[in-house]
Amino acid sequence: MTEIRNTSKNKRDVLLLVILFLLVGGVYLVFQLFAFSGDQQVANIYYGSSSDPIVTIDFVNFEVTKRYNQPVPEGYGSFPLIDLDNQTITLLGDYTIGGERQIVVIKYTFATGEHRGSVEIIEEQSPNNICSREGVSTGKPLICLPNRIRVEFGSNDSEDFVV
Amino acid sequence: MTLLANFLAIAIVLNIIESQIPVIPVPGAKLGIANVVTLIVLYVYSFKDSASLMLLRVLLVSMLTGKLLSPIFVMSLSGGVAATLAMGFFKKTNFFGVLGVSVIGSVFHCIGQIIGGIFVIGSTAVVFYLPIMLFLSIPAGALTGIIAQRFLVIWQTWHNEVES
Repeated sequence: MTEIRNTSKNKRDVLLLVILFLLVGGVYLVFQLFAFSGDQQVANIYYGSSSDPIVTIDFVNFEVTKRYNQPVPEGYGSFPLIDLDNQTITLLGDYTIGGERQIVVIKYTFATGEHRGSVEIIEEQSPNNICSREGVSTGKPLICLPNRIRVEFGSNDSEDFVV
Repeated sequence: MTLLANFLAIAIVLNIIESQIPVIPVPGAKLGIANVVTLIVLYVYSFKDSASLMLLRVLLVSMLTGKLLSPIFVMSLSGGVAATLAMGFFKKTNFFGVLGVSVIGSVFHCIGQIIGGIFVIGSTAVVFYLPIMLFLSIPAGALTGIIAQRFLVIWQTWHNEVES
């Protein structure tokens, strides 16, 4: 127990702290500046641990395509719900309140002029609401972990989507 | 054994309080104050004791909050395991002090959480959250390390007084 007040160790601790902070801070800064700066062609919406998108939003051709129905238990109706007028897509999340599974509403915006195509989670129930607080995204994946729903951006030139 | 049970109880209470009150304005980010207890037990007792304390804490907290086997549970478990293993290893190498070990634990907690997240959603997209998580984890780890260090100094003087 005598090693707690050890000056050489304290020096190394502080050095580790400074080096780690600079390293991680640098990575974070580079990441913020350069990641997702390119235009994204499509956004794919996934449910669960599946790598097959349920809905694909095509920002280039202004299309929203439903690939298949979301597997949901009986009594919940049919998902996804695609509202072309309001530009929203509704899926059923995994998060339950009083035993009832809750919906996740995703709003998409096609690219217009200098505005890039974007996606935002506008309605969702979860303890911290991380994915709806994330706001509008033009490239960063939006992940609703408690609901197990995610939106990932990509290019539409290949049919097999790289995960 | 009684003291260890008390440490576990403190860790559970800290964990639950922290999940209810957001201290850091970034959504989802936590200080990891319960890790102070894991760290203290690692130094006062042993690696084995700190590992079992962490496992019991994660299990009991998720049972008490009704999140057993949920994505959040998987991520707390993978984060906790990674952090405890890393802290145990770096304590053994005896190169860094309590502060350094705490920061290393904090960083590994993020990495472990991300690995758990990849399993939960079956996609590596969660990795995009790693830079911000790591960036926040360093001051958080430093703060918990300082708290643990202060505690251990007090504990040590108290122990010496009792023995002499």
